[in-house]
Amino acid sequence: MALVTVGCGNGQQAGPSSASSTPGASSAPSASATPKQKSTLRIEQFDRGKSFPPGLAVNDQEGTRYAQREFGDPNNIKLEYVPVPRSQEVEKLNVLMASSDAPDIVFTYDESLAHKYMEQGGLMDLAELIDQYGPNIKSYLGETLQYGQWDGKQLAIPAKRAFTGITSYMIRQDWLDKLKLPIPETTEQTYEALKAFRDNQLGGQGTIPLGLALHPDEYIPLVMALIKDPTEEQYYTGMQRLGLQEYPILMDGHKDVVRTLNQWYHEGLISPDFGLDKDQKVRKQGVSTGKVGLYSEQAAQSYEDPEGGIQATLAKNVPGGSVVPANPFTNDKGKRVKELNPPTGMYVMVPKTSKAAAEAVQYLNWLAQMPVMLHYTFDGKDYEMKDGIPVKVQQDLPDEKKIFNSSDILIVTNGLDLGMQQSNVKSLGASYPEELMEYAMKAFEYSLTDAVTVHYFPKPIAAETKYAQILKGKYEELLVKSMLAKPADFDKTYDDMLKQYLASGGEEVHKERVAAYADMKK
Amino acid sequence: MSAGSYFRRFWQYYAMLFLPILFFGLFKYGPMYGIIIAFKDYNIFQGMWTSPWNGLETFRTVFSMHTFSTAFRNTFLLNIIDLLVSFPAPIILALMLNEVMRSRVKKVFQTVMYFPHFVSWVIIGGLFLQIFATNTGIVNQMLNNAGYDSIPFLTNRYWWLITYLAAGVWQSVGWGTIIYLAALTGINKELYDAAETDGAGRMRRMWHITLPGIRPTIIILFILAIGEMPRIGFERPYILGNAMVSDFSEVLSTFVYKIGLQTGEFSIATAVGLFQSVIALVFLLSANALSKKFTDQGIM
Repeated sequence: MALVTVGCGNGQQAGPSSASSTPGASSAPSASATPKQKSTLRIEQFDRGKSFPPGLAVNDQEGTRYAQREFGDPNNIKLEYVPVPRSQEVEKLNVLMASSDAPDIVFTYDESLAHKYMEQGGLMDLAELIDQYGPNIKSYLGETLQYGQWDGKQLAIPAKRAFTGITSYMIRQDWLDKLKLPIPETTEQTYEALKAFRDNQLGGQGTIPLGLALHPDEYIPLVMALIKDPTEEQYYTGMQRLGLQEYPILMDGHKDVVRTLNQWYHEGLISPDFGLDKDQKVRKQGVSTGKVGLYSEQAAQSYEDPEGGIQATLAKNVPGGSVVPANPFTNDKGKRVKELNPPTGMYVMVPKTSKAAAEAVQYLNWLAQMPVMLHYTFDGKDYEMKDGIPVKVQQDLPDEKKIFNSSDILIVTNGLDLGMQQSNVKSLGASYPEELMEYAMKAFEYSLTDAVTVHYFPKPIAAETKYAQILKGKYEELLVKSMLAKPADFDKTYDDMLKQYLASGGEEVHKERVAAYADMKK
Repeated sequence: MSAGSYFRRFWQYYAMLFLPILFFGLFKYGPMYGIIIAFKDYNIFQGMWTSPWNGLETFRTVFSMHTFSTAFRNTFLLNIIDLLVSFPAPIILALMLNEVMRSRVKKVFQTVMYFPHFVSWVIIGGLFLQIFATNTGIVNQMLNNAGYDSIPFLTNRYWWLITYLAAGVWQSVGWGTIIYLAALTGINKELYDAAETDGAGRMRRMWHITLPGIRPTIIILFILAIGEMPRIGFERPYILGNAMVSDFSEVLSTFVYKIGLQTGEFSIATAVGLFQSVIALVFLLSANALSKKFTDQGIM
């Protein structure tokens, strides 16, 4: 790290040196004079376990060095990135916070965890510091800041989630062509298509018309799409927020949906071992080996990685095999309801014990400006503006100039918000290869049709924070057991499982939500 | 001899004991003061000493949790069936191996049986999924091709118990066998010769000489196993378990993980841990007392 700080020029050069007309990134102008002595700012960083080329490490690569050059040096701050394994971020964060040796900037995707820290009084109130040092934070994160408030204090800076769509369905275009069917647009049409997939065994032996895994990205879209159109009250009192997404377990019509799924399962239309597929591996494999006809995934995920991604592998295994986005299910009102991610990304926090809170806010402020965000979004490579959207330029950079894990450093935003929904969709699609761009954009569009946002209460529901993990497990149990039960045993199984769900904390959550809704409506 | 000269004579043995005692002191006895977390409304920022006391409130909360009672029952259930099968298995294997004449064969078996002990449960879990999945596992695909119905090894909770057990035996039998084989070497060879001369067959020799010969080992290991009843490893039930068998696969260790660690409820995690330790102690002392009463042999 020493070679970076000593002998580096001051940070006045323009941003990415390229032929494009991007303005130079300005290092954070401190409202007060640059501190005389060098202070250290410790920042948490996710370690995703990828190996690095020799000489580089997750916390010592162009991504971190750029920040040191552009922000750290001009402000006489030494930046120290503290790696934390991604898969253990919650456990490790708890330990760091408890040890009062936590980095000055910490973050988590887990909202309940952030709320817990706020409740327990371990976070610094950043309101004044933002007023003093954070003009960019205010302008870019204006509306998002409210989600980081607790009891009138600004205890977290939530990152902005530019694009809130989550999932879209994908269907085998070549199968539809074989059957001379259009892409189904209603539940009835889809049901007929699924049966046709099965009857014609279009994927050979072991054809799976509707691929399903025991993952919220797959079962929640399915249930939400089929359930009776909820009223506003139902959204508040019938849903339960377990983690990032909402679970419609106590909504009117939930049992009927599961009954339909039970019927479909026994008709051989759904992945037989979906209950064991917690990480979607089996379902994904089913798609790339050509067995699955229709499935739900994070928008455009199949198109990622044009070499080894799902669409790519499918095309290799099955000549002419291709998947295209679809919006196949309609509810009783003809709407294609789906959930959205919350408008917030990571919760960025400064522990109360931090001695570098001012520097922390200055750093976040430096991150929250367009040139810096663009630089990181494109991994340090060049980009050019096309139709007002920044688009990447093909460029091969040597390892020392590449930015690794840029989204883990750019913690103030989750995706780039260009100010308009359409622009965001376009810019998301632009990162895909030419021939898939149109389809990718469609997938992103579909993830937004008839989509509903998270229904927040003024204050987080305490019981949800407590029971979220248990209840999530119980919901999955209910879903699996009810779907697998023999149709004659369905009612008994579902009712039993629902009783268990309620006894495990579901009843408490429900009561709290009903009371909070009544309060809201006063 | 006096204590001083005794010590001087055997000081090397005490020196060897120093590191293990240090280990226990630092890592087992030292952190015990952390038990107070179970009696506090633990706030990670206020820390252990200034977090407010809440007496038995945490325990009351935990005991009233529906999931806790299931986890508690399952812990004992899984441990008891483990005891019934995994405990005798190494003994039987050791006895059988002991009868093998060719020492070469004996050594090969010993080494090979030991291997599964080193395989991580994560890998075993992945393997089992590939082999035993209800519709896509290799075994069931072979059964289907032969015209039989699939066997729900991992998805029916009773079948799952068998699978869980089998996995445990496969993984641990090698290690237990080595221990018993070591104990077997301590039996006087002359006893066998004398019995053979008297006309005792192989089975009788085993029953009257070998088994009694390793009885002390068996008893000690049995008492320890009983003492471990309220506790259960985390990896095996967590990796092999799934939504369909959670009636049986949710145990105290996975409960503590889900509630205590994933949600940061350290008070609950500590309370459950303390509860387990207290029960384990009671079990251990009782088993020891009973053993002493009936067989004159115990650990303490």
